[in-house]
Amino acid sequence: MINARPVLEIKKLTKNYHDGPGSRDIIKGLDLTVNEGDFLTILGPSGCGKTTLIRCIAGFEDYEGDILVDGDPVKAPGIDRFMVFQTFEQLFPWKTVKNNIAYPLKMNGIKDREEQDKIAREHLELVGLGDKGDLYPHQLSGGMKQRVAIAKGLALNPKIILMDEPFAALDAMTRNKLQAELVKIKERENATVIFITHNIQEALALGTRVMLMSKQGEIKINIDNDIPKPVTPASEGYGQLWKMLNDALWEEDDEKE
Amino acid sequence: MKSETRTEIRDQIIFIICFIGAWYLVNRLGLVSSLVFPSPGEIGNAFIKGFAEGELISYTLFSLKLIAKGLLIGIGLAFVLSSLAVISKHFFAIYNLIVSVFDLLPGVALLPLVLSIFGVCETTIIIIVVHSIIWPMSRSLMDGFKAIPNIYIESGRNIGLKGFNLVRGVYLPAAFASVLSGLRVGWARAWRGLLAVEMIFGTTGTGAGIGWYIFMRRINLDYSGLYAALIVIIIIGIIIEYGLFRSIERNTIRKWGMTAQ
Repeated sequence: MINARPVLEIKKLTKNYHDGPGSRDIIKGLDLTVNEGDFLTILGPSGCGKTTLIRCIAGFEDYEGDILVDGDPVKAPGIDRFMVFQTFEQLFPWKTVKNNIAYPLKMNGIKDREEQDKIAREHLELVGLGDKGDLYPHQLSGGMKQRVAIAKGLALNPKIILMDEPFAALDAMTRNKLQAELVKIKERENATVIFITHNIQEALALGTRVMLMSKQGEIKINIDNDIPKPVTPASEGYGQLWKMLNDALWEEDDEKE
Repeated sequence: MKSETRTEIRDQIIFIICFIGAWYLVNRLGLVSSLVFPSPGEIGNAFIKGFAEGELISYTLFSLKLIAKGLLIGIGLAFVLSSLAVISKHFFAIYNLIVSVFDLLPGVALLPLVLSIFGVCETTIIIIVVHSIIWPMSRSLMDGFKAIPNIYIESGRNIGLKGFNLVRGVYLPAAFASVLSGLRVGWARAWRGLLAVEMIFGTTGTGAGIGWYIFMRRINLDYSGLYAALIVIIIIGIIIEYGLFRSIERNTIRKWGMTAQ
């Protein structure tokens, strides 16, 4: 990345829930910079604080240290940082698919109904659900719901899209398909994405950067993923990277015992 | 599923016909005083006469007007106050206490007190109706708000909603099942309260309600008219349940896939 502009700067981030005597730091003194157009995937063993990290960025948690988005400190949730959750239930069941996308636009300054409709329809097309706009979320499959959630995020045009294992509850086929689509969409929209996963294949298939967090809530690996997209297990360098990340994850697992 | 409902309805219709038949027989055989058990025909006549002469209608409309006013005020207040309880923790603590205490007081028990303050007038009746609905409605709303899955609230905050917008945009629709059950409980209590108060009250100068109508039929030993009024009350209940609540349910939580089934 030449002339990359930092969108997100995290300095000395520490998070402790202080929910009991001897509660430990989930994240400890973490520094991280994410540039415009980066697709950062974050790997880590369960309980390493990767979800806590993006919840802090999203503004759902208080924290110690600095989280700056375009230089402004994060204090509360805002539409400049859109979060796609793991659960399929993140859409509002009382709104049609199209209105799930249009409503956030309406609540954020786009008052013209036709304009809301147009943006909603365009983004549904983008995720291949152009004909599903009038359905209610309960009429969609899990994979479709996650697509709508992504479309909703893209429509708001946030500075960063945060994704907390959005594909983890999907079957393998749907998951692979959505990964491929996400790579394409990301390239077309030049979005900046932080994507949490515990799946090495997914981290390599999606990320232009891959980060691995330790059980102590620190960054253990932070590398560029130069494998050209689309990444498959047959891609050159895939095996090497996969092994390195896998070994690091195993090491974390050993330390637990 | 469809045919199951059909057999259910068929059974119910057969039961109703048998019930009316049994009633007719009891009356015919003179097993009980025909004064208290008039024949189905007499009740039907009283029903038709009540409507033809307009008396039953005007008493009924008077009650419905009062309850509509009371419900509107009560539901409105319950919404506003329960929403404030979402926004402010301090307000929640206080309002929660108030609701818990007043929910224990039947409206009729408050009547003598309200009467001595406001006198025999419409205001007194409306206060009793509002009292009957506001606390159960608020209780349902606050419990419903508490039970909303966190993901909806976070989704709402995620798109920049907070304060009143978050309540209107997320809390209310997400807790709509509770909103509906609160409305049902509130309506039932208010309707009961109103009828009781009307019987105690009599006329308020501007008119009298169906509760008073029932009371007067008994005084006049017109039991056919009394039963006719009871049927009117049942019909109103059916209209409210099937015409109003069920259709709201069908167009909201059922359409949204938010029912348990």
